[in-house]
Parts: sequence; C-alpha cells; structure tokens
Amino acid sequence: MGENLLEVQDLKLYFKVKAGKVRAVDGVSFTIKPGEKLGVVGESGCGKSVTALSIMRLIPQPPGEYAGGSVLFEDQDLLDVPESAMRKIRGGQIGMIFQDPMTCLNPTMTVGKQIGEGLRIHLKLSGDQALKRAIALLEQVGIPDAATRVNSYPHQFSGGMRQRVMIAIALACNPKLLIADEPTTALDVTVQAQILELINGVCSEFGTAVMLITHDLGVVAGMTDRVVVMYAGKVVETAPTGELFANPRHPYTLGLLASVPRLDEKRHSELRTIEGAPPDLLSPPPGCPFMPRCAFARAICRTMPPLELVAGNSSHLKACWVNVTDPNEQAYADRRRKARLEATQVAISTSADVTLQQTS
Amino acid sequence: MDISERLNVPSTGEEIEPFLEVTPQLVQQRRSQGRIIFDRFIRNRAAIVGAIFLILLFLFCFVGPLVTTHNQPDQIHVTDVAQTLAGPSWQFPFGTDDTGRDMMARAMAGGQVSLLIALISMFMAVIVGVSIGAFAGFYGGIIDTLLMRFTDVILSVPLYLLLFVLSASFTDGSPKSVILLISFFGWQYAARLVRGEFLSLREREYVLAARTIGAKGFRIMFRHILPNAAGPIIVNATLLIGVNIILESVMSYFGFGIKPPNSSWGTLVSDGQGFFDVDPLLLMVPALLIFFTVLSVNLVGDGLRDALDPYMTER
Repeated sequence: MGENLLEVQDLKLYFKVKAGKVRAVDGVSFTIKPGEKLGVVGESGCGKSVTALSIMRLIPQPPGEYAGGSVLFEDQDLLDVPESAMRKIRGGQIGMIFQDPMTCLNPTMTVGKQIGEGLRIHLKLSGDQALKRAIALLEQVGIPDAATRVNSYPHQFSGGMRQRVMIAIALACNPKLLIADEPTTALDVTVQAQILELINGVCSEFGTAVMLITHDLGVVAGMTDRVVVMYAGKVVETAPTGELFANPRHPYTLGLLASVPRLDEKRHSELRTIEGAPPDLLSPPPGCPFMPRCAFARAICRTMPPLELVAGNSSHLKACWVNVTDPNEQAYADRRRKARLEATQVAISTSADVTLQQTS
Repeated sequence: MDISERLNVPSTGEEIEPFLEVTPQLVQQRRSQGRIIFDRFIRNRAAIVGAIFLILLFLFCFVGPLVTTHNQPDQIHVTDVAQTLAGPSWQFPFGTDDTGRDMMARAMAGGQVSLLIALISMFMAVIVGVSIGAFAGFYGGIIDTLLMRFTDVILSVPLYLLLFVLSASFTDGSPKSVILLISFFGWQYAARLVRGEFLSLREREYVLAARTIGAKGFRIMFRHILPNAAGPIIVNATLLIGVNIILESVMSYFGFGIKPPNSSWGTLVSDGQGFFDVDPLLLMVPALLIFFTVLSVNLVGDGLRDALDPYMTER
C-alpha cells in the first residue's frame, strides 16, 4: 500500500482509570493520501483529538495505553519506532496545530525563536539561518513587517496572528502531513475564514496533506477532499466530502447534517438536535455505540456493524446495518421518534402532577 | 477601475497617509516584559531603599579598600596599649580594636568574605536546587519520588546541629569550605519550589506544542519551562542570600566557620563581644552591617516578588 501517506488501522487507545478502561479510540481506521485534505468530524469527546495525539504518540503513558492497531506513516509503523526516531518525525514529517493559539506559544520566547526551533532541531540550521527562514515563513503566513515582528513576543500578537505563527511553526520543516486540531475554534468568525484560507493555500502550495479535526461541518465542506465521521471512538462513516453531504448513509451523519441551522428555515422554529448524549466510554454499549440515540435502531444493532462499502460506491464506507435510504426504514424511524416524543411528554406531565400533589 | 476613482476621491498626488495598525512604531511603544517588571520594582519604595543600600554596601566592601587608606585589616596601627580600643576618629572612623587594628578596614575585608560566601553559596544552591527540582518535576514518577524523599531527608535534619558537627570535622576555616557547607544546606527549598513550578508548567499547552515539533526533554526543560519559572526562582535566590549571610555569621560566631587569618562579619562579632563594656562599637559595627544587609536583601526580595507576580495589577 505505497500510495497512502498515512494509514491508521484499527487503532485502539484506552485510558486506564480507577474504574476501568476508557475506550477513547476504539478501532479507528482511515487513510490519507499525499496532498489530500481529510476532515475528521464528530461531537465533543468522541476521540478526535486523542486520535491525532496518538498518531503523534503524544498521549502520556500511563494513563494512556495502546491496545492494538497500527499507524503506518510512509509504510513505517509509528507505534514501533523508538522515541528518538519518533522525535525526528514530529515536526520534521508531521506538523501539528492546536486549538488555542493563546496558550500554545511560549510567552518567554520570541516568535522567531519558536519558529526557528524546529529548523534547528531537524535541519540543524544555525541561529542566523533559522531566523532568516523564520522571517520568510512569517511573510508566507501573512504577517506584515515580518523582519521586525520576528523579534516580538507572543503577547504582542492577536489571536489570529498567533494562529498564523502556529501554522508557520508547524510548517517550518516542510512536513508531509499537517494535523490541525480544531484550528479555528478559539478564533472569531472573520479570522476563522482567513486562517482556513491560509492553511488551504499554504498546504496546496507545499503539497502537504492535511488532517483537519473539527466539529464545524461548514469548515469541512469548504476545505476537505474527504471526511471521516467519528462517534464514541469509532469511525462510523467515511466518504468524499461531496458524496457525504449529498448522500449521508449513517443515522449519526444524518443527525449531524440535520442539526446544522439553515438560512432558509422558518425563523423561531426549533433547532434540530440529536436526542440524548454520547455514551460513557468507560462502558460503551456492546453493539453500535449510536444505538441508544438512533431512530433506526433494531435488535441487530446490538452487535457492532463492520465498516463496509456502501453498495454502488467504491469510496463510501459506513458502519450501519440499516439502509437509511429505504422508505420502509424511514417510516419505522418516524414511528419510533413519535413514540419517544409521546413517552417524554407523558413523563413530563406525570412528573408535574406529582410535584403538584406534593406541594398541595 | 481604481479604488480611489470608485470612492470619488480626487487623486491630487497628495501623500498617502499609511494605515496606523501596521507600522512597527506603534507596536514598539508597548513596554517590554522586563520594562514592566522594572517599573513595578521602582515604584516599591522599601525595595528601592534596600537596593540602594546593597549597592552602597558593595561599593564599601569591594571598592572601598581600593580608593581609601583602610586597606590593611591585619596591620597593627596603634602599638601603644593604652591607645588601643580607640573611639571613632578621622583616621579610624570605626575606631580600632583591642590589638590596635583599623576597624573600618576589618569591616570591609570581613564584608568581602561574608558577601562572597553568601553570593557564591546562593548560586551553587540555586543551581543544584533547580536541577534537582527540574528533573523531579519534569519526569515525575520514580525519579521524582527518589529526589524529593532525599530532599525531605536533608530537610528533616536539625540544620545548625549538623552544620556545627560537619564544620567541626570537615572545614578548615577557609571561605571555600564554608561555601560548600552552606550551599549544601541551601538547595532544598529551591528544589521544592522548582519541582512545584515544573509540575504545573509541564502540563501547559506550549510544552505539548514543543513536543510536537520534536523537542527533547532537556530542551523542553531548560528552554521552554525554566524561563517561565524564573520569577519564583529569582525571589527565592534573593532571599537565600540573606539566609546565607546569617548562617555564615552564626557559624563564624561559634567558631565553626571562618577562622583566622580570614575574617568575616561573624568573626568580628565574636571578637568584639568580649569588649562590649569597654568599646561597644567593636560589636555594633559588624552586627549592624549584618542586620541592615539581611534587611535590605529581604526588602529587595519582597519587591521582586511583587514585581514578578503576573497577577499584580498596576495602579
């Protein structure tokens, strides 16, 4: 499989806690081709960030623990290489951007030193050369007057500019893969667009592959080639971006897409949500993790469905027993939703009665 | 179409006013971190008084012997027994001691020894303490346990007792041996402090970010974490100078520290004690010097603590 830059196979990372094992990443598989832009979406706590950090082997062990699987980066299993080789890959081959640029820059070092640090570690540049390259990189990420700003400290920069600096640090050694862990979450909307534009532009220019972790479907739609949808530490669906938005096949993806507010919706209508909360990863349900919240759920969902190709499409995979496009299944789902709604209403009215009786 | 045409601005060839945000001058007007700390320190009167006293004291002890005639502490100036223990005069501002030696010269020479011992043993203690604390806090686990229990063991020994026992058997009364001994008992608090700082700072996101660019443990410890822990370390080091001066004086006073032919403020106090009835100046001069030095060091330390505290709000 030489065509893939990164190939994550059945990766399992558990956190050992007193009460047992938290299955933060539970059998995740996906691939990234050179230069490809992959989006990873899912709600909070579904294992997106842990997946990214476990690829970099930056989860502290203990409490983290690799329970199986492999991370092939250029046909080399990153879970097997010694720590010294891993350090060469971090920053040199794989760069990473974090969510909050306010806390990710060292307040006691100038930005130039921080950008140059990777260059000095990996390319063994001298201080002068590193500084020159840092100025060039700052210009490339769109910071005006880079030659003066290179000697500034992070506190003299705004949030958007700091994220630009982070991008410059991550791309300093021209890595083959950039992992961006929610790079725009801490920024305001106008800056978000600029930063995404920048990541997109710079990575296209350098031919860097991108793994973009986000919970913002708009970001995914605008920027990625392919999307992986994660839920409770598992991949539930993966498809080319256009295909996923046009033809979602997993009930969870359907729910995610339906809960995006739309401009053409009637004003003051209730926003749609996915009912319930994600399962406790300490003791996930035995079958499909989405089953407790899924309208399409059936008895068969008590066993975990495999991640399989959707019929008639060679690049669209889903992990679901149900064919959500089947009208019969949709009718069944509607019936279940209605029954649930009625049940909640009954529960609310009886509890109101009980409280009334108690107070009187 | 040009933007200026669209906005109907007549293009008169007038010089364009540059946008203010992007000019570097505006950014440079902000005070640097060091400047902010310095300004805060300056505003603390007590700390400034302490700092000025310390500067004058250093000039007195180290430059004084070079520019004045009080540079022969061991020379017996007054041979007439009746004239020894003289009071202050123009020739001997601090008087003379029981053997007719110049007290001013002796105070300067003793100050050199006392201050050097305090400073050097402070540096050694801080270096040892920072290294031990950094390793313990950064690596944690078994390394942390071993290093910190070792620290606790040394801390649990009665300080003066062991100091006297050790100095009686190991030191030869030279400043070097006293420095070694004092620094051996000074690093524990620095180690604990640095360990605590490292424990909290290693969880910061910029440390994780440094890992993602492939930085090694040493680089992260000393380039990324240590500068962020500098404030508390500096304060601790300053206060340690005062502690060391007192330790040295106590040791020398009891005859365990500096021994003749060397002299320090501690030995001067010890020597002058016997003549308190006849000439209190012999005791008061070194004792007051010790007192004001330690007081000033502590004032400066407190001032630095406030100046380096990032949560201090400026009024």
